[in-house]
Amino acid sequence: MASVAIRDVRKSFGAAAVIHGVDVTITDGEFVVLVGPSGCGKSTLLRMIAGLENITSGAISIGGRVVNDLPPKERDVAMVFQNYALYPHMTVAANMAFSMKLRGAPKDETEKRVNRAAEILGLLQLLERYPRQLSGGQRQRVAMGRAIVRDPQVFLFDEPLSNLDAKLRVQMRTEIKELHLKLKTTTVYVTHDQIEAMTMADKIVVMHDGLVEQIGAPLELYDRPRNLFVAGFIGSPAMNFLKGVVRANGKLEFERPDGSRLPLAAAPSGSDGRKAIYGVRPEHFVLAESGADAIIQVVEPTGSEIQVVAKLGAEEITAVFRERHQFKPGDKIRLMTDPRLVHLFDESSGQRLIA
Amino acid sequence: MSSALTLQEVNTVQDAPARPWLTPSQAWGLILIIPYLVIFLLFVIYPVGYGFWIARHPHTYVELVDDPIFARSAMNTLVFLVVGINIKMAIALFLSGFFIQARTWIKWLSVLFILPWAVPSIPTILSLRFMLNPEWGVINTLIFRLTGEDGPNWLNDPTIALTMAISVHIWKSLPFWTLILIAGRLAIPGDLYEAASVDGATNMQTFKYVTWPSLRTLYLTSTILSMIWTLGDFNSVYLLTGGGPADQTHVLATLGIRYLRLDQVDMSMAAIVCALPFVLPLVYFMMRRLAK
Amino acid sequence: MKLSSLRSVTTEAKLLLIGIPLLIWTLLPIYHLFLFSISPKESAFSGKLWPDHPTLHNFAVVFKQEHYYLQHFWQQLWNSLLIAVATGALTLFIATGAAFAISRLKVMGGRMVMNLALFTYFIPAAFLAVPMYRTMGLYGLLNNQWALILAMVTIATPYSIWVLKQASDQLPVELDEAAVIDGASPMQLFRLVYIPLMAPSLVAIGTYALLLAWNEYLYAFLLLSKDTDVTLPVALGNFLAADDSPWELLMTTGLIYALPPAAIYYVFKRYMVSGLTAGAVKN
Repeated sequence: MASVAIRDVRKSFGAAAVIHGVDVTITDGEFVVLVGPSGCGKSTLLRMIAGLENITSGAISIGGRVVNDLPPKERDVAMVFQNYALYPHMTVAANMAFSMKLRGAPKDETEKRVNRAAEILGLLQLLERYPRQLSGGQRQRVAMGRAIVRDPQVFLFDEPLSNLDAKLRVQMRTEIKELHLKLKTTTVYVTHDQIEAMTMADKIVVMHDGLVEQIGAPLELYDRPRNLFVAGFIGSPAMNFLKGVVRANGKLEFERPDGSRLPLAAAPSGSDGRKAIYGVRPEHFVLAESGADAIIQVVEPTGSEIQVVAKLGAEEITAVFRERHQFKPGDKIRLMTDPRLVHLFDESSGQRLIA
Repeated sequence: MSSALTLQEVNTVQDAPARPWLTPSQAWGLILIIPYLVIFLLFVIYPVGYGFWIARHPHTYVELVDDPIFARSAMNTLVFLVVGINIKMAIALFLSGFFIQARTWIKWLSVLFILPWAVPSIPTILSLRFMLNPEWGVINTLIFRLTGEDGPNWLNDPTIALTMAISVHIWKSLPFWTLILIAGRLAIPGDLYEAASVDGATNMQTFKYVTWPSLRTLYLTSTILSMIWTLGDFNSVYLLTGGGPADQTHVLATLGIRYLRLDQVDMSMAAIVCALPFVLPLVYFMMRRLAK
Repeated sequence: MKLSSLRSVTTEAKLLLIGIPLLIWTLLPIYHLFLFSISPKESAFSGKLWPDHPTLHNFAVVFKQEHYYLQHFWQQLWNSLLIAVATGALTLFIATGAAFAISRLKVMGGRMVMNLALFTYFIPAAFLAVPMYRTMGLYGLLNNQWALILAMVTIATPYSIWVLKQASDQLPVELDEAAVIDGASPMQLFRLVYIPLMAPSLVAIGTYALLLAWNEYLYAFLLLSKDTDVTLPVALGNFLAADDSPWELLMTTGLIYALPPAAIYYVFKRYMVSGLTAGAVKN
């Protein structure tokens, strides 16, 4: 177990810079998720921690030691790959024992560790099978077992659940989280799925185009996204963004292009006339007589809630209701927002405007 | 806090110790590739360089061109390539269609068909040499028994002998190319044939519009490669006719040995150098197709 | 009904019209070889399709080395075997290492070496024969079996490297990465991960190189001359020199020599065909 410190790390492949200066601090025992769209650099960053990619500049330390020039072998990290990367010609037991065999560890020690890992993951019956005889979920567990046997300072996960079907993914998410609670090993987990990030992380690092957009606990990111990107990335269905202008003379309000007004609770001083983006999460819309007019376009009942796509004036929004309203496409409704729950972003910079 | 320590360390470690000159991975890479490079240097580069060096005198080429045997060999080689290969590839194309028919006896036949290629040349070509012996070979003996006439002078008439050499070459290499074209045919999706049959295509039309467009590139590549290899086919001529009668059936591959026997090594090399303008473009073509 | 069965009959007839001549054409020289081996000397040339008195006497003569041209039969057979196995082993050793270095270790200049090898493969071996002969002379290796082994290895290696590299490229990179993270050194990666996974290709290449050397004539007769050093094909070629050669013994020896490759081919057919034609068919 150890802390991981990433200090002003940059990465270029030849002339192409893909990571432009990333700082992340991971404390001992933390479960940190690197999340972002494809191409944001999260896998590259993970691989740099592992030692599979060179660090162009900056420093990465594990357990207080700078590891920039250390080969993966000496960094004491274990990695779980997206495609499992199990050795096809070895049994499950041999796969899990491989790292010990490479070190020349004594047989009984190896067996002990392999059995312990197999027990934790429910693999005891499968030890003599070959990877080709296993299901996707089982293979993923073997890959994790291989990492557990290593007993490393840091676990690295590279999108491990992407190849599993939806139901299995939900199940494995919980298993990985439970594993972490049990073993308490520092974990860096990469995914493009924000739900995985929200449900599993102690701390989320949102990345975009080689830069860190925001670091924080899941609910912190959810409730107080620092910019438009994070606001739109975290949360599903995504936050609604409405264009308009802040009006701060007398009553504080948000004026939309069609003239209609939405309530605001706070804004930085001197914002009057400032062009801004008004952010509302789908579940924060309420039906109210005093609200703005909207016409329902599509109704999507999921059972636990009803998702509605509606036209609020000229813009389309998504709203989510827990109650079973009898909505039909074409219905006219009135929607209101709670000013304490809305978000305000500067239109040009995308930065959060309310403290 | 461990993070503070780290920062301190980092700030003093801005000029990290220089990377080792060669990582173990790079070192092993070089070690593992050196044996091949050594072989290449000793047994390819040096002999080739030496060959060019021996063939450096212009007068060698003058002598070569003046030698009627050389002219004849060049002609023979050309015939071998143009006639021999095209006939062979056409037959291979035809047979590839034959062998994909689903019959048990055809499957058994395909197993036997591979034999000429799998079995070494020396016994089989010598076997053919004796079969074709004009005086006591089995073929002529049979012909005499059936017709009372003497059979053709298989190996002593230069034209017939060359034809026989070409036939031997075809006999030996046909299975390989047929296999290649069969693989090519099998790679064509069955849906295309089904669509063609629904559209009412005849066999000829199916071949023209479905099979041939897919096989065309493979056929061309195979023909070019076959030309390169046929240029090097020493056994078919040497073991059958020895280049005779009277050096009339020599080809480029056997010419080198002839000059060697006559202790004219420079002529030997020169003959090969003359072949290079033909070989190198073909090799370049193949490299383009297969190199990365 | 009648029309379709008539059509199928004509199709069968057409197929047979191709099949039967093909069978005869394919087997004729081989059958001839076989025929002479089991025919006694006197009746061999009678032109009969099956001898009146088939005999294994010829085989006995060959095995007991009871003829002038056959006095070193076993030695020469052994030479062939030795050289073939040595070629196969050495080629495998060199080519596997090179393919691993180029494909997995991404050695500097790997692509250039790959293309160099491919280029060498395409140049006909016969062109290199006379210069090789002279070069071996300069190295002092003439009449040494190593000359032939090294020459054969030189010829077999380029294609082997290419085939092995193609096969290597099919192995996912993640396997190497997982092994490296598990702590594998390059040699451990090579021994414990790479070679086991490449086993089928290694068999194909080893067999290819072995058969190449076994079937070789030109280089064998150029580089070796002493009767006790030469391989069997060279000895067979020497039969041709004399007028009164015992043709039936020649055929018998030839048949014996032809059996191992045929057997090996049929045993390894699966590996050989897929391995060796894959490169040509891939577009």
